[in-house]
Amino acid sequence: MSVQSPAPQKKPWFIALLSSLDGIFIYLTAGISAREFRAMLRGDAPGRPNTRLTPHADAFLLHIKPSYYHESVTRFTHTYRLGLLSTYLFLFETITGIILMIWYAPTPERAYVDMIRLLNNVPFGQLMRDLHRIGAELMVGIVTLHMVRTYLTGSYKPPREFTWLTGVLLLVITLFLSFSGYLLPWDQLAFWAVTIGTSMAEAVPPAFVGEIINLLARGAPDIAANGLLRFYLLHVLFLPLLLILFFFVHYYKVVLYGISLPAQEEEVGEDTANRVPANRRVYYLPEVLLDEGTFLLAVTAIITAVTVFLFQAPLEHIANPQQTPFHTVAPWYFYWLQGLLKIADKMWAGVIIPGVLLVMLMAIPYLDRNPSRRGADRRVATISGIVAGVLMIILSWMGTPAYAVQGAPALEVVEKLMPEEKVGISRKIGYKHIPLGTYDTREPITTDDAEFAKLLDKFVHLLEDWEGKAPDFNDPWGLLTVTQDQANLKHLRWEITWISDAGTEEYFKQDYWLHKGSYYWEQYGRKKFGVPEFLEMQNGG
Amino acid sequence: MRSLYVRSFGSKLIWGLVSSFVIVVCVGLTAQTEDTRMEVQTKNWEGRGIENGAVLFANNCATCHGQQGQGLQGVAPALNSRYFFTRRLGDVGQDGVMTLSNYVYLTVAAGRPSKDNSQWANRMVPWSSQFGGPLRGDQVVDVVAYVMNFEETALQQTASEDPFQPFLDVSKPPEFQNIGISADAEWTPVQLAVTSVLPMGDRDPDYLFGAMACSGCHKLDEPQAPSSMGESGPNFGTIHELGTYRPEAAADPAAYLKESIMSPDAFRVEGYDDAMPDDFASRMTEEEIDRLVQWLLDPDRVTHTRDAGGNIIDE
Repeated sequence: MSVQSPAPQKKPWFIALLSSLDGIFIYLTAGISAREFRAMLRGDAPGRPNTRLTPHADAFLLHIKPSYYHESVTRFTHTYRLGLLSTYLFLFETITGIILMIWYAPTPERAYVDMIRLLNNVPFGQLMRDLHRIGAELMVGIVTLHMVRTYLTGSYKPPREFTWLTGVLLLVITLFLSFSGYLLPWDQLAFWAVTIGTSMAEAVPPAFVGEIINLLARGAPDIAANGLLRFYLLHVLFLPLLLILFFFVHYYKVVLYGISLPAQEEEVGEDTANRVPANRRVYYLPEVLLDEGTFLLAVTAIITAVTVFLFQAPLEHIANPQQTPFHTVAPWYFYWLQGLLKIADKMWAGVIIPGVLLVMLMAIPYLDRNPSRRGADRRVATISGIVAGVLMIILSWMGTPAYAVQGAPALEVVEKLMPEEKVGISRKIGYKHIPLGTYDTREPITTDDAEFAKLLDKFVHLLEDWEGKAPDFNDPWGLLTVTQDQANLKHLRWEITWISDAGTEEYFKQDYWLHKGSYYWEQYGRKKFGVPEFLEMQNGG
Repeated sequence: MRSLYVRSFGSKLIWGLVSSFVIVVCVGLTAQTEDTRMEVQTKNWEGRGIENGAVLFANNCATCHGQQGQGLQGVAPALNSRYFFTRRLGDVGQDGVMTLSNYVYLTVAAGRPSKDNSQWANRMVPWSSQFGGPLRGDQVVDVVAYVMNFEETALQQTASEDPFQPFLDVSKPPEFQNIGISADAEWTPVQLAVTSVLPMGDRDPDYLFGAMACSGCHKLDEPQAPSSMGESGPNFGTIHELGTYRPEAAADPAAYLKESIMSPDAFRVEGYDDAMPDDFASRMTEEEIDRLVQWLLDPDRVTHTRDAGGNIIDE
């Protein structure tokens, strides 16, 4: 009674294995067989039906990507891959950031100690921190360059006005992301840069609104435990989520309208980015993917090599609300704001001008009615863009301590030789090059140590320079006294005496200590593997 | 326009491989040297901690404990002292209970409440903000690192070089505290009266200035000027010109000073509280006070280096 089912067809075992392996391959590649994969690598044309498009339909990450591009926009010099790079850096920052979060607690008691622990006791801890820092600085730069490129090729013009607007928002979020991360190490650099930054918010009119914004950001009248926690949450949660949201809006629009073609390839007022003739299509799989992959690998290699050999994220003294550093500076991307603050009052420079600039930046596509994207047709736009860029650079320069900030000459001199923070010449030449003794700038330099002779020479010249520059600083002379206060601890006392304008003798004294073990990478020009010289020195050289 | 776009698959693959190789080499090199790097960084941050501690010590501790940690007769014990690093912990019964650095940490952080008739003029106050002091936790850690860094020089001291003053708060009598005597030396606990080697009436003014702990609050080497006011008591650097800047003393500076020593509450300079002890009249003879006043008003006064008993050792 039973129905005899047909006997399964017997296949040789290796054929069965191969076909099941191919099944796995297709599963992993979301629709591409091993045979097709080889054909792709050989550069063969796709077959019909084109199975190379299946992953774009089946795989989540690939469905976001267009399946082909116009040949002209795949040229490196058209986009410089800056948008891709910005996105990649965000991913890069997320990964290194999450690793750093493992060793970090956002409280004033722990944050700075955790930084030191990360550097002292965590394998690859310093590498991760340096990578995260360099990635953050780079991301600000790359996002800005992406905007500059888009501006210069006129790619913000219809239909991409909204894409541009979300792009400007992404730039602002990137700046705030970078800035909110600035506070987390809880050192003097972080604390005072963020104090300056948040104090700008105070200028928002009317006064009580500014106060409330400032209070909300800092969590108290001054930055403390609450402020640190707020900046931490902004940095690791709120701003990244906001950035992801706007990124997807931005990228959706990029795919929807396509990347704008080089202007000379289409008629003025026309947008043919999405009408790609079949013979000019470059498929994402495999060409563009391989291209993007190798590009990002190369960038990663450069970032890693630079970080490993040259770059070190700064870490100054622990944040001290009672002690304002000699020169407080904002992060470099806010130098222009600091420059503005020097020439205008807080409300104009901190709120009105940046606000108007931001609105104008977002409104560029709606203000610029010129339909042409060709360079020859938009000289006004190009020149005003360049002028704005130059202005930005000048304002940034004005934001540095080089412009219109000057302390007392004696303090400036000592700050050059042995600054409160950072390295300075004395720490650069280091403990072993600073012999004990008393050195008077009025006497000829007598020392066997060439490095130390250079330091004393600099001392003499700085005094001379400031004598010429400052009217209240006459006949200055300096005294450097180096004593051995403890084993491995030298005491450097800098003393400067001068005659003031009123003819009275004035005196300035600054004491610093230098430990044999305190080590500044800059001492040796660049990071060195294993730093054998250092260990030799430590073990009694 | 010259295009940077690389078309060939082969060259892309090579670029990718070269880049991967660079990354692997960089990370590999880092991995190889991580142990050394961490060692270097540990020493680096220890060193910077000691540097920070030195600044804090100079600003907050050196007035009483001495710029070189040598202590001050009758004011504060020596820290740069072999006794301190070898015997102190045992003498307070903490050997094997805690480490010296924890003992220092506790003392700095929480202070040392003074008993009645303490041998020290000033109480050690709590320094950590945890106990109401002015320093943050990390600053206390740095100060302790600096104090502990005296160890290397302190251990090289001979018995006569050790600037320590016998502690009266331990049951071991002073003569057995000396590092010249074995720590295990047999001794019978006896109650010793506080005696100074120099008899009362014969003591030199520069010795008294230290022994009476004047130096704890009045700095001899800094002027009393608007820009440089002594913190707990007026500075004495310019006291020989007292008449010119203190109207109350203009008529007779010596009498003014003598009255200030014998009854400090008679006139108090604005800005200072009543920290000055009022028992000097019973601890010094009147001749001693007169000589102290003369010495103070002498612009060429001499301060001798003395041992714990008050004997001059610099001649």
